[in-house]
Amino acid sequence: MTKQIVIPGELISDERKRLGSNVFVSEGKIYSKVFGITDKQNETADVVPLEGQYIPRSEDAVIGIVDRVIFAGYGIDINSAAKSFIPKSAMRNEIRLGDVIAAKIQGVNEVKEAELTYPKVLSRGEVIEITPVRSPRLIGKNGSMLNLLQEGTDSEIFVGKNGRVWAREGNIELLKKVVKFIDENSYKSNLTNAVEEFFKKQKVKTNGKKS
Amino acid sequence: MEKKADYKKSKKRLDDRKMDELRPLKIKVGVIPNAEGSAYLEWGQNKVYAAVYGPREALPKHTANSLKAVVKVEYRMTAFSVPERKRPGPNRRDQEISKVLSEALAEAVFVEQFPNTEIGVYVEVVDSNAGSRVACLAAASCALADAGIPMKDMVAATGVGKAYGELVLDLNKDEEDAPDAVDIPIAILPNSEEIVLLQMDGLLTKKEWEGVVRLGIKGCKQVYEVQKKALQEKFVLGEAKTKDLEEKVKGAKE
Repeated sequence: MTKQIVIPGELISDERKRLGSNVFVSEGKIYSKVFGITDKQNETADVVPLEGQYIPRSEDAVIGIVDRVIFAGYGIDINSAAKSFIPKSAMRNEIRLGDVIAAKIQGVNEVKEAELTYPKVLSRGEVIEITPVRSPRLIGKNGSMLNLLQEGTDSEIFVGKNGRVWAREGNIELLKKVVKFIDENSYKSNLTNAVEEFFKKQKVKTNGKKS
Repeated sequence: MEKKADYKKSKKRLDDRKMDELRPLKIKVGVIPNAEGSAYLEWGQNKVYAAVYGPREALPKHTANSLKAVVKVEYRMTAFSVPERKRPGPNRRDQEISKVLSEALAEAVFVEQFPNTEIGVYVEVVDSNAGSRVACLAAASCALADAGIPMKDMVAATGVGKAYGELVLDLNKDEEDAPDAVDIPIAILPNSEEIVLLQMDGLLTKKEWEGVVRLGIKGCKQVYEVQKKALQEKFVLGEAKTKDLEEKVKGAKE
């Protein structure tokens, strides 16, 4: 295995390479910006962070919570340092304090404030938290992990890039535990297979009980 | 009561260390679950906790800078961390240390990436025996990395100076109280050897000064290796196992 853990400021390559995310160049050498995992033999110098907060980027789908209602619109908490705002004219119906919405980030300005579009109210359901930088593993390659979770727990799931997962119906208690497992083991390989096998065994168990 | 010692003759220090040897140093990362990043450090008798929160909205609002993040460090000593009870609450010394630590850490963090925010760093000294500010800096730097905050480099720090006629690395309290003691906390960014913290009082000749800085940088690099190991130990790469997940689900049910 060529993957390894790097700390901020650790040398990744002293040759010229294509630059991926979370790296910086100093005097012709490439260093890691964050505490994360890298594959030094890769053609692109790239670090996958192990820890970290959500930084809004345009085109991200996020889950927000309404934390302020004023005459002109709604203040939305999207789990980042800067608050977002949706004017009332952009919403079809009124929403209330504490409502959960799904939205897409249209753009981010100079001070990292996100502009939200296509807000959609997510009624009922629950919000589960995960370390934001680990949420991609909940989706997996081509959504493989997400499909597994949806089939396995029989829930309707929406994964936001900002470290929030919204789920409705089905076995949410089980989903919470699996999400926690993925959160804690996000840096390991073979994660999708492990979860797949787990759900297979679960299915056998529940079927056995019924018959 | 002053201890009589002459390092030039004895070639050994009061605690049997070599002149360029650190006290035993141990760091553990991720000890405070509610913090974004945290570290616990033991360095000789020094025991220090560091916790990092943020980047978050800078409050009070007038402290925010729309061009960069503010690194807010709060250095505190517990009342029982020193032989004579310390009055709780920040005093002049705590404020000074908070300021220099904040400036040292801000050198390493990519502050321009988080405009209008603050990064809260809280360091608490539980037990102390000379060199607590460098211990705090080493711990805080690990905690920042653990919080996933982008940084140019880690900040490695150590004490260095002169005691009983010799240049020594990482002074303890007995050495700090020597009649000719010079205590210099020094912190560097290990890659570039850029100095981000350096304080000194006392007298040194030019030759001694050059030796002290060289010794300090050497010491910082040893500290850096410990920091690196501590962070790498938090995660062990491997395969995820179904068994662990089953146990997790079962354990919570019971």
